[in-house]
Amino acid sequence: MTTSLTSISAHGALKGFLLSAILLLTACSATTINISGTFPAPLVQKLPLTVGVFYDDAFTNHSFIEINDNTGDDQYIINSGSSQIELFNTMLPAVFEEVVQLDSIDSANALNGLDAVFIPGIEEFQVGLPQKTRLNVYEIWVKYNMRLARTNGDYIADWVMTAYGKSPEETFQSVDAGVNDAANVALRDLAASFTLGFGNVPEIKEWLRSENFLEE
Amino acid sequence: MNILRFKFTYNSIPRLAFVLPAIFFLCSCTTTEIDEFRQSPTAISFDESIVILGRRQNNNYETEEDFVTCVADVVSRGQNSISVVDEQLFLDAMFPFFEPRTAPMRTGHLEQLMAVDVAADKLEEFGIEYIVWLDGITERSDQSGSISCTIGPGGGGCFGFGTWTDDSNFEAEIWDLDTMSSVGSISTDANGQSYMPAVVIPIPLIARVEANACSGLGNQLKQFINGSGT
Repeated sequence: MTTSLTSISAHGALKGFLLSAILLLTACSATTINISGTFPAPLVQKLPLTVGVFYDDAFTNHSFIEINDNTGDDQYIINSGSSQIELFNTMLPAVFEEVVQLDSIDSANALNGLDAVFIPGIEEFQVGLPQKTRLNVYEIWVKYNMRLARTNGDYIADWVMTAYGKSPEETFQSVDAGVNDAANVALRDLAASFTLGFGNVPEIKEWLRSENFLEE
Repeated sequence: MNILRFKFTYNSIPRLAFVLPAIFFLCSCTTTEIDEFRQSPTAISFDESIVILGRRQNNNYETEEDFVTCVADVVSRGQNSISVVDEQLFLDAMFPFFEPRTAPMRTGHLEQLMAVDVAADKLEEFGIEYIVWLDGITERSDQSGSISCTIGPGGGGCFGFGTWTDDSNFEAEIWDLDTMSSVGSISTDANGQSYMPAVVIPIPLIARVEANACSGLGNQLKQFINGSGT
């Protein structure tokens, strides 16, 4: 009887230890949020340009880490790279007559017929979580650096764009879903400003006029 | 002299669980007030449509997608129903012209938008006669009371009482795409108090504030666009 009790108690202790270890590991690990979504093609008049687009590694694999304010550990890892690519691959063919994806900036010189090379980049990424901001919305703010260059590498324009998206916090909604919704709104916001504002960037407007791409 | 006495025993819990909801059901009602302001006459034929869009440019809140869908459902069903284009379908098809940062805020902006051929063609393709802008929020206030729940080897249960007030304020502004002007607006203000008594199990007695605001606004909007509004 004594042996049996000891064996049950040892077994229980082992189970308790394993459970505690699992809980501890789960508590320490950061949650990964992969942003996903689909974006509509913008309804705009295409510019008569053949543009090469180059996505660098930092852009393609863009990831943001939100730190836990109390522990200083990673709390959320937000991967938005694939959604950014998805957005630009939907948006650019609607804005320009032809879009060619480049493996490197140098490869632009070897391609005939390219009018310009477009290189998007992310400078800053911020996330606002209801548990931290005390607002009942999830927020995403992104600062982009857009560059348009000639095929020889000379810059035509280098400008900054910001995107903002918010999504109301809902009952029983996961943080993943809230962040994803806010990110999708922010990406749509960027696409809206880019498609309607591209031709109004002063350097681009000037270049389009000088190269006779713009009807007077 | 008769004195009404109530002795609390475990046997009285089921009775209490029945009586309390019945009392509060009578109390958890909603008051809805609807105001209409008409600037021009309106009419719509069976082959024309409207679209109902939520305003989402405000920093502090955004008009809930569910509320927009609810009003669209009310308008598109029942007697004198009107064909309503789905909000998301419209936003995607008209992208990027009706996003929070680019949407027309005044009818003057609508004129500028109609000057863009691709946008004007798409609007005509939908057969849209009126755009309805919904703007508003439901706010919760006066929350009080507390409910505590316990669970043990022999079972569990809750005991306590909670109450809160919901206040829905929404305004619908109607734009005529033919005249490119605002033809009127309808506002709704609904409020009501909800109760949550808990005797073993919590019994939510929810005042259907937003649902009442939705049906009131939807029905008034239907009358307004059909031209029979007051």
